[in-house]
Amino acid sequence: MTRKLIPLMAVMAMLMAACAAPAAPAPTQAPAAPVATEAPAPTQAPGTTEAAPAPTEAPAPTEAPASGVDAIVLSKDNPTEILFWHRYSGGAQQFVEQFVEKFNAENEFGIKVTIEKIDGSYADLYSKINAAIQGGTPPNIAQAYQNQASFYRLDGNVIDLAPFITSKKYGLTQEEIDDYFAFFLESDKNPQFPGEVLGWPTSRSAAVLYVNLDWLKELGVEEPPKTLAEFEELACKASDPANERYGLAWQNDISNFAALVFANGGRVLSEDAKSYTFNSEAGVESLSLLKRLFENKCAVEIASAERFGEQTRFAAQKVLFVMASSTGLPFYADAVAKSEKPFRWTYVMFPQKDPAKPVVDIYGASWSVFKSTPEKELASWLFLKAFTEPENIAQWAVASGYMAVRKSAAPKAIEAVKSNERYKNFPEAAEAYARLYDMVAFGAVEAPVAGYDPVRKLMSDVVSAVAIKGEGDVKAALDKAVEDANAILKENAPGGY
Amino acid sequence: MATAGNIYAGPRRQLGKMREHFLAYALLAPALLLFVAFTVFPIGFGFYISLHNWRVGPREFLGLGNYLRALAPGSEFWPSLGATLTYSLLAVPLQITIALALAYLLFQKIRGKSLFRVVMFLPWVTSTVATAAVWARLYSPDIGLINNALRGLGLPPLRWLLEDKGVLTLVANGLGLTLPDWLRGPSLAMVAVVIYTTWVFVGYNMTLFLAGLGNIPGEMYEAAKIDGANGWQVFRYITWPLLSPTTFFVVLITVIGTLKAFNHIWVMTQGDNGTQTASILIYRQFYEFQRAGYASALAFLLSAVILLVTLLQNRVAAERVNY
Repeated sequence: MTRKLIPLMAVMAMLMAACAAPAAPAPTQAPAAPVATEAPAPTQAPGTTEAAPAPTEAPAPTEAPASGVDAIVLSKDNPTEILFWHRYSGGAQQFVEQFVEKFNAENEFGIKVTIEKIDGSYADLYSKINAAIQGGTPPNIAQAYQNQASFYRLDGNVIDLAPFITSKKYGLTQEEIDDYFAFFLESDKNPQFPGEVLGWPTSRSAAVLYVNLDWLKELGVEEPPKTLAEFEELACKASDPANERYGLAWQNDISNFAALVFANGGRVLSEDAKSYTFNSEAGVESLSLLKRLFENKCAVEIASAERFGEQTRFAAQKVLFVMASSTGLPFYADAVAKSEKPFRWTYVMFPQKDPAKPVVDIYGASWSVFKSTPEKELASWLFLKAFTEPENIAQWAVASGYMAVRKSAAPKAIEAVKSNERYKNFPEAAEAYARLYDMVAFGAVEAPVAGYDPVRKLMSDVVSAVAIKGEGDVKAALDKAVEDANAILKENAPGGY
Repeated sequence: MATAGNIYAGPRRQLGKMREHFLAYALLAPALLLFVAFTVFPIGFGFYISLHNWRVGPREFLGLGNYLRALAPGSEFWPSLGATLTYSLLAVPLQITIALALAYLLFQKIRGKSLFRVVMFLPWVTSTVATAAVWARLYSPDIGLINNALRGLGLPPLRWLLEDKGVLTLVANGLGLTLPDWLRGPSLAMVAVVIYTTWVFVGYNMTLFLAGLGNIPGEMYEAAKIDGANGWQVFRYITWPLLSPTTFFVVLITVIGTLKAFNHIWVMTQGDNGTQTASILIYRQFYEFQRAGYASALAFLLSAVILLVTLLQNRVAAERVNY
């Protein structure tokens, strides 16, 4: 009997061991503060006999031992490996890879960065990171939009960079901080996590209006529109549906709608991030404008499945205006250059309701650092810091088409674009890049809160139904969308689920 | 009456049986382990997730909460299930009919039939994402080839993938009539997706039918000819009954395929304009909303629907398939 029970007990013991909660990992020991090697005592000169007694000196104040971030030590003898996930392609990818190679070879901390490209969209990268978090293997650094970083932050998966930025030993001086465009630094903050910095700005662009200048001249206009009224008038004046020519190409990217809301003096999200506000008067005006453009056949919709549809039509002179990201500059240049009949073009700040008080939608994925060991977190920060050094960020801006995030780097980036062979025949386009930096002062952020992605879909559905298909009432549709959006906001608020 | 000789026969035989069983399970163990690790456990864990409010990790236990939410009146699951069934009901008969007709045609002694077979099969072996993107371009309302052809024929251009109006409504509107909402029919975007699906899968189904046709003994046809049967009679009384196992199989996999279709729908419409099938809804809930618990519950409900439809098909087939 006892003999029969032995294997049964053994099996039960194994099962219980398997079901037992895993032991908590031993806390990572904080690295010991480096012990200062004592300087050898200077050899004393033979003293004169009967020397007068020296006055007793006040003891020197002992320096407080380093704490927090400053106490972390990285060294070449003990390399720190970190993993960086991105989704850049083309020139941007090439630059990042070259930079990583250079950084790995030259950094004094023994940091080794491994870079992995994630094929697909930002949404795909977001999904992959969430899956990796669940699997316990997130990267150390990854590209993330502010709302995505906020989602990671809900469970403490991304870290607050503030302690690293302010670190005496590893952080930035006030002068360096001041060299960053303040708006870019601010845009990585989320009112739901006061005082925290959830990402580091490396890439920013603006929602702008691409304009065919030659076509504009044919319409008897020298200057791109500055007001929304002028914009609407010109779009309709240019349209000739019978010949498939339209004033505006509209792909239902909701950042374009957000840009319209900003241009009308509104906001997407309230300042305290407690509710969505795109159903305000500004939202109603924006949606009504789009509705009129489609009703009067002044705009053409580009299906989401048709990649670069707006670009193709712009290059083929099928559309006068395109609302798109400023990063499209090199691609538009190439498309127009390859067209049958190249023309003069540029991009400008999106027309405003009140040009005296412009507001521009400025966006871009930042680089967020994921929770790991203090050493890896510090190594990640040092990599971010190095990448945004003025010299590097200027080159990065040229390679990627983004704005340089530091003031001192902007002139170099502008000069590089102006002297780029690509824009030789499009001086107005090269000039546009320089003017882009003037827009930073008027920048606005859409919604840096978790759950903004499904809200964008809600907004997109409203634009599609009301403006494009002409179904339903503008205000009622926006109110319903905001109601649903606020439910999503609540669901994704810290502690809200 | 038991004899001394067979008193121990029972235990010995039992021991032998136990050894045999042990050996059987030992041989099965590697495959069983893989099956449990990669099929049973993920399904079980998926079900466990579906019982929770699960974001990046588990929040709270909801029991059947996610299921009740999905099945509640007004839930988005119902329209998505409707779209799924509509897609299936449109795509399956169309695919099967065209595939069977082509297979029957290419089974005859005609010149270049091998080339035709390859051409028809090509869409199935080409990347779905790539072909779906190309078709999306063909469907473009202003610069697409399809609308250019319609214009050439003097017909009005259509919005295809961007059109959420029902096809019957569009036809009625074209004739100056108005239809009640319940008679609108599937959206034009859905029909456009079905046309693409048919183009992709017809070649594959045709190949299966060709294999089925090849299994029908030639003597049957010879006998039918001697009896004076015409072409239609040969098809109706010989080909169709003897092809029924193949037809059953093709219908079964096509129905299952359409019920869980995702890739091309996502590429072409992202679920907009009346094409949000259950798979698209699950994807959205999981990736856009990060509601893993709810998405898992939806996935189990969809699996249950597929299982139900398959059982129904099996029951119907049992009476009609000639083996």
